[in-house]
Amino acid sequence: MTEQNTPKISVRGLYKIFGQDPQTALARVKDGMTKAELLSETNHVLGLNDINVDMPRGKTTVIMGLSGSGKSTLIRHLNRLIEPTAGEVLVEGENILAYSEKQLRDLRQHRMSMVFQKFALLPHRSVLENAGLAPSVDGKSKRQYEAEATKWLDRVGLEGQGNQYPAQLSGGMQQRVGIARALTSNSNIMLMDEAFSALDPLIRTDMQNLLIDLQGELQKTVVFITHDLDEALKLADHLVILKEGFVVQQGEPQQILMNPNDPYIEDFVADINRARVLRVRSVMEKTDVAPIEAAGDVDHDATLESLIAASGGDTTLRYRVTRNGAQVGVLHMRTLVRALVPTGGAEGVALAQTDA
Amino acid sequence: MNEGRNSPGKNMMATYDFLFDSLGLRGWCGEDAGGLSSMADLLGQTSDKEVSVSAWDTPFPSLDALHDACYAIPQSRELTLGLERGFLEIKDGLKIVVDPITQPLSWALNNALWVMQVVPWWIMIPALMLIVWFVGRSFKLVGLVAAVFSFLAFVDYYDYTMQTLAIIFVCAIICVLLGVPIGIAMSRSDRVQRVMIPILDMLQTLPPFVYLIPLIFLFSVTEPKLYGIAIILYAIVPVVRLTDLGIRLVDKEVIEAADAFGMTTRQKLLRVEIPLALPNIMAGVNQTIMMSLAMVVIASLVSAPGLGVLVLRGIRNLELGVGLLSGLGIVLLAIILDRVTKAALARINAQ
Repeated sequence: MTEQNTPKISVRGLYKIFGQDPQTALARVKDGMTKAELLSETNHVLGLNDINVDMPRGKTTVIMGLSGSGKSTLIRHLNRLIEPTAGEVLVEGENILAYSEKQLRDLRQHRMSMVFQKFALLPHRSVLENAGLAPSVDGKSKRQYEAEATKWLDRVGLEGQGNQYPAQLSGGMQQRVGIARALTSNSNIMLMDEAFSALDPLIRTDMQNLLIDLQGELQKTVVFITHDLDEALKLADHLVILKEGFVVQQGEPQQILMNPNDPYIEDFVADINRARVLRVRSVMEKTDVAPIEAAGDVDHDATLESLIAASGGDTTLRYRVTRNGAQVGVLHMRTLVRALVPTGGAEGVALAQTDA
Repeated sequence: MNEGRNSPGKNMMATYDFLFDSLGLRGWCGEDAGGLSSMADLLGQTSDKEVSVSAWDTPFPSLDALHDACYAIPQSRELTLGLERGFLEIKDGLKIVVDPITQPLSWALNNALWVMQVVPWWIMIPALMLIVWFVGRSFKLVGLVAAVFSFLAFVDYYDYTMQTLAIIFVCAIICVLLGVPIGIAMSRSDRVQRVMIPILDMLQTLPPFVYLIPLIFLFSVTEPKLYGIAIILYAIVPVVRLTDLGIRLVDKEVIEAADAFGMTTRQKLLRVEIPLALPNIMAGVNQTIMMSLAMVVIASLVSAPGLGVLVLRGIRNLELGVGLLSGLGIVLLAIILDRVTKAALARINAQ
């Protein structure tokens, strides 16, 4: 089982500095120079600052940050579209920075695929030919890859559209082609660079659900970039939050939500609908003792929102929390209501006072 | 005309004497070795008028003006003569290199001219219509082509038209064969681009007649490559520029996607960059064809056959009718070449 527990992709001590002489700048950054100082004094941009992330096998790792936080730079290091200034990127334990040109092409053709924010389809190729890009790069003819490409086009909901051209499709459908293209490569790793950010909200929700469904079937190692916390929390098994090129916090999303360790993250967290995102297991009291007068059973992975609906808003109720039918804890509705207020409540008061 | 007043002769004061006197270069300047004297000099000698140069008439310190003051300074005429002599000296060496390289051009032009004239009109015109159909897929265009060629044949300009067309075909094809790879090289490397842009600017702005002068020295006027080279140099610029531009304008995200799926540089060029740059490249081909048509008329000065010869006859013999009719023929030819290439471009863009 060790095979399953080792991370698929590990990033170790990764630095990226943009500018004329990154190595000198790197030494200064390691001596503690900040991004702003580096920019004003040496005119170098600190893209990534000592990134250490393990991306678990068969799970979705979401890298979240605002624009300019270095998230797109980070994902491009995973297939070496950008070369780092220092550090290691390990895929299945192999340092891909030591790869030859040929090994790198093999990695990109067979082991990793990528989905882009602006779809990046080939406009002069049909949908089918776009979906079959990976096998065609490998030298396979259209006849050879047609079945595989059609299978994945059907799976993402593009039945019978193979002969269309990308320009004839809507944005959401084009991104479906982008996903089918990544799936047709049969790679175990999928990199998704703000894959849904260019889509309108309803279609974005559809695509998120599609990705969740696909993950349920395929268990690929997905690295997903987004600037949207709701999206991040919906998709993430492992959440990494970037700010100005360094990792502010990473871990299980519920953990980060309940215990943000940085004001930056608290600001983020303050704006979201906690009832929809938080799960019962994150707020329950862990106990085997059966509660008195339990109003009912609730699964440990249910959202608070669903429980509020079930309770009819009655805050006096208690629920027995179960996992696979066995009790793992108790949740009092009062605890639930309290959990809907961000933990930074005390600070909120302090802020109110300074405002006054 | 104020000749003589400010062009002093041998015994008179020159404007810039003071310069050489004050620098102590009088000895170096020496006596007039009986060098070339200009018309103005001669006129100056014959005039007995008192020389008084007003500030208003002070000549620019040009080669000629300085020569008047100091005979060691060459006249400007010697500069142009020097250029000429220099060119004549390297001519033979240049010919050894350029002659074999350009020989296929002569061969191609000769053969194209031969084919276009040997094929009878009742095969050639339908063949051209067929080509236009394949390129443009438009009956209107095919009809236009048929009408234009029929009209030109009707006024007995068929042979001239075919000669012009043959030259344009050969030169445009060679322009594309050379220009597209040069454009690709420019798009690949900023250094190549920096070197090529001034060369292209020069080729584009140099008056077309100027190309012809050194070529006349290099090749005999009976060789078709003489005008072939002139046309190619003049017409290659747009296809090079637009290939470079087209490839540089290819969406960076698409290139990134090609990289992310492990394409080799070659695959990227053939499957992504050139197809996506094709609308721009075709726009360049269209411009190249139009410019070769413009040049083929001028090149008739150096024995290029075709409609240009008729234009030239119109000028030389003041045959107004011939000049106008052949001019109209060139316009008609330009219209169909433009429409056909534009139709091809539109078909590419529609994809």
